[in-house]
Amino acid sequence: MVAGSRKRRARRTGSDVAARLDGLQVAVDAARGRLDDRLADDAAEVLERAGGRLRLSADHTVVALAGATGSGKSSLFNAISGLDLSAVGVRRPTTSTTMACVWGAEDAGALLDWLGVPKRHQVERESTLDEPDTSPDPSPDTVSGAPGEEDLHGLVLLDLPDHDSVEVSHHVEVDRLVAMADLLVWVLDPQKYADAALHERYLTPLRSHAQVMLVVLNQTDTVAADRFPGMLDDLRRILADDGLDGVTVLATSAATGAGMPALRQEVAARVAAKEALRARIRADAVAVAMRMRDANGDAHPGEVAVARSRKQELVDSFADAAAVPTVVRAVEASTLARARRATGWPLTAWLSKLRPDPLKRLHLGRGAGKELATLSRTSVPQASPVQRARVDSAVRAVSDDVSDGLTRPWAAAVRRASVSRLHDLHDALDTAVAGADLRADHTPLWWQAVRAVQRGLILVVLAGALWLGVLAVMGYLQLPAPGTPDFRGFPVPTLMLVGGVLVGVLLALGSRLLAGVGARAKARAVDRSLRTAIGEVTQSLVVEPIETEVAAYRSVREGLAAALG
Amino acid sequence: MSTSSTQLVAVLTTLRDVLHDTELPLQVPGAEDARGLRREMVGQLEDYVLPRLTQIDAPLLTVVGGSTGAGKSTLVNTLVGAGVSETGVLRPTTRTPVLVHHPADAGWFETDRILPDLPRTTGAGGSGAGSLRLVATTTQPVGLAILDAPDIDSVERGNRVLAAQLLAAADLWLFVTSAARYADQVPWDFLKQAAERSASLAVVLDRTPPAAVDEIAADLARMLTDRGLRDALLFTVTEGTVSDDGLLPAEAVAQVRSWLHSLAADAGARAAVVKQTLDGAVRSLARSTHHIADAAAAQSDMTARLRADVDAAYDEAVRQVDEASADGSLLRGEVLARWQEFVGTGELLRSLEMRVGWLRDRISGFLRGRPQQAEKVTVAVESGLESLILESAESAAERAAASWGSVEAGQRLVQDAGHDLSRASRDLRSQAERAVRDWQQDVLDMVRAEGADKRSTARFLALGVNGLSVALMVVVFAHTAGVTGAEAGIAGGSAVIGQKLLEAVFGDQAVRRLADAARRDLRARVEELMHGERARYVDVLQGLAPAPDTEERLRASARGIDDARLAGSPGDTA
Repeated sequence: MVAGSRKRRARRTGSDVAARLDGLQVAVDAARGRLDDRLADDAAEVLERAGGRLRLSADHTVVALAGATGSGKSSLFNAISGLDLSAVGVRRPTTSTTMACVWGAEDAGALLDWLGVPKRHQVERESTLDEPDTSPDPSPDTVSGAPGEEDLHGLVLLDLPDHDSVEVSHHVEVDRLVAMADLLVWVLDPQKYADAALHERYLTPLRSHAQVMLVVLNQTDTVAADRFPGMLDDLRRILADDGLDGVTVLATSAATGAGMPALRQEVAARVAAKEALRARIRADAVAVAMRMRDANGDAHPGEVAVARSRKQELVDSFADAAAVPTVVRAVEASTLARARRATGWPLTAWLSKLRPDPLKRLHLGRGAGKELATLSRTSVPQASPVQRARVDSAVRAVSDDVSDGLTRPWAAAVRRASVSRLHDLHDALDTAVAGADLRADHTPLWWQAVRAVQRGLILVVLAGALWLGVLAVMGYLQLPAPGTPDFRGFPVPTLMLVGGVLVGVLLALGSRLLAGVGARAKARAVDRSLRTAIGEVTQSLVVEPIETEVAAYRSVREGLAAALG
Repeated sequence: MSTSSTQLVAVLTTLRDVLHDTELPLQVPGAEDARGLRREMVGQLEDYVLPRLTQIDAPLLTVVGGSTGAGKSTLVNTLVGAGVSETGVLRPTTRTPVLVHHPADAGWFETDRILPDLPRTTGAGGSGAGSLRLVATTTQPVGLAILDAPDIDSVERGNRVLAAQLLAAADLWLFVTSAARYADQVPWDFLKQAAERSASLAVVLDRTPPAAVDEIAADLARMLTDRGLRDALLFTVTEGTVSDDGLLPAEAVAQVRSWLHSLAADAGARAAVVKQTLDGAVRSLARSTHHIADAAAAQSDMTARLRADVDAAYDEAVRQVDEASADGSLLRGEVLARWQEFVGTGELLRSLEMRVGWLRDRISGFLRGRPQQAEKVTVAVESGLESLILESAESAAERAAASWGSVEAGQRLVQDAGHDLSRASRDLRSQAERAVRDWQQDVLDMVRAEGADKRSTARFLALGVNGLSVALMVVVFAHTAGVTGAEAGIAGGSAVIGQKLLEAVFGDQAVRRLADAARRDLRARVEELMHGERARYVDVLQGLAPAPDTEERLRASARGIDDARLAGSPGDTA
């Protein structure tokens, strides 16, 4: 809502252009390094030029007279300005530097500096109301103009050199200023109106700029009147072929003055509307944004995302490569072994210490503690080529999935991003496995309870044995046997010895069953926590880089949408 | 025709043929220019040099060329004295070239002696584009024909190409420019060519306001001198009223006309003009041939480079699979687990390595109860090998595409390939599946054949063909495991069991032989798969490289031309 109303307001206040430029800026920043950099450079150039122009006088309208050598640009310039400022001649090319003429009292110095038109060609024309002495820049070449120029107030008229002569420096100057002027007036003549140099090099590339262009067919006096309409139609046809059907075409003769008022009026109207500047920038932004959109493609961003099922495949293949199944099996075996040691019958349990702990073989857990484990490398087996191949194809499947529907450059960017961090794969997986809490030291309470009971039972057995031993010794020494209490007919010491052993062994066997269940449950828990840790690894190694690219794609797409309005 | 010129014709004909076959399809730097140059050279050879050399007496062909709107057609009409070529204010006006000649010369032009690819028309009206209109008129002197060419610089691309072709076929250039045009860049590019070929050239400064004639003519003369065209004749024609027939007043072109007529009348002068242009053309052909030879060499180099890129990528893929399938790493994970289930528990294996005999009995006991365990190992082997092959092919395709993408020529080829070269082919998975299954089948057959005479032994019966072939695969996969160190320890251990098992049945010689054969078989199958993948790239390159001796033949032609010219020149000047 808020954004919408701001947008509407922006449009009303005429900062529609600013919104487009902002959008283009976003798109350029996100596209750099992903789409063709030349395209990004072109767009950045448009932005820089637009920024430069918008900082300068918006009251002035820069109108450039461009055309072939001998078409009469300088004659038109002189006719509009009413002064003989630009040299007119028969030698080709005549004009070799750009000439400027400024109407109105406002200082256009900064604007002309930005345009790079040398100072000596500035001709500031005062309005009738101003004192000649108050001219802000009384350079020796400054000419005070004739009165009665109110309608052209704010016009900066440029007379460009030709674009088709043997003087290459002229083409460079024309190319530079054609890109900067607010309104372009192409001056054509009956001999040259169909030249490839004009149509292929300038008009066709500028076909999106019909709004900020005028085409003037000059020297109409050299053509017979009855043939002239046909020529004008022919010119319109060629312009339509260029893609410029909407452009305004005027016919003039600087020599006879025919058509000059109409041209002057057209220019005056554009200057008074003060729209040319923004229209030009808008046309530039739209033209470059269209080119970028062609390269960017227009897949809906909603369809560009990493699917959940792909993430699961990714985690599975990474877990495989990290030897998670091996670790989980080791955890189960290790837990079982420790449980036996803790809860087994003490007289035989020590035997199990002779076997190595499977977890220790992997340099995992058990006494080392979590902190220590993260510092040292584990001995979990390295991923085999087969596992590595599965990781690679899972990653490839993810990037394929995401780039489905994207254009080639984006698909390449996604692919690049998907493998950009994979060289860390082994380290990251190792850290994840080593860092996971395998709870190897955890001793369940019931183990301790069983151990206590077992120890008690051993004491009972020992006491029974001692008792029986004392009785035996006394019998051997023929001493009178003290009375032994009996329990339901069994003598207590015998009961203690035999019963203690029996109960101890039974308890050990029962605990063993229970420990098996516990070990499996623990293995499952460890599997889960390892997979969670590995899920984070896939997230940071694969999914995040891809999502960065997807976000960039979104920025470009949205930025371009804003730039295209 | 002297012997030297016969020799020259022979060399040039060979050159034409070689050039014709030298397509330069790869987008290496400069290829675009070289392709244009080659087209021009073939055109000039066929349109001009060869016909002119064989028929040195043919009429002099003057081609009137220049910018659109400079007044070429009006000039031609006035020179001829009749409206033979259409004039007008619409640009470009002339779209069909018009050749004006004396009726007596008709035989020279009606055949396809020159400009063989342009069909001739003789109708008065405008005819189809891409043809050459012949006009016979007695006002044209015998021995000199005038060709009104289309413009060189309008938006009509076809005109520009045709004009260039016609100018290349001219004995004499009559280059028309105007007061508004004379400093344009495009015409000067053509004049530069004329200077390079030292073609006979006359420049007509047309449509000049009478008041400015002297100033402009002086400026133009200066420009001609600056650009090495000091010898070019310069005529001026002032801007005048054009009659309804499209003719200027006759006196406006009197200078040009009288010069042309005197040229037509003087056979010696005409021959000199022809000789200058022809010599220049041949010389520039010899020079340009070296450029084409360079371009052909660049194409060969690029093809070789692209081919090497592909080979490197896929050789690496074969190597990867080969290595991984021999160093025991395939025996880890899934395959190892299944194998251990097959022969007993892992614990058992470790403790019992020294007591193989006992183990064998133990295993036999296991197997009798669970024959499907062998099947599980087979499946695990299949899926492991398959993943390995697929991923190697994928990464090879990616590597090859990346190295092709680093040069423009390769980029174009990848883009135009029609299918995505940067990925393995779609059906590779099924191909790999089939290849691995076939290999397993072969291993099975091998074991069966080897065991034919041992079929009745107790051990053979106990393990079965399936069990033994699984053992053989395991031995194959651990081929180099002994040298890769600790990590293959477990796998190596498993393989030792497999080896002992097999040796117990077949004897150790046979086991080694079987393992080698199975390994070679696997390698051959992988190579075949990768060869199919590689072929997608190689097919794209197919036929793109010029014939191997092209460069040499071109340079030999260039030398031949120079030799023939040197041999011919003293005789001609004498």
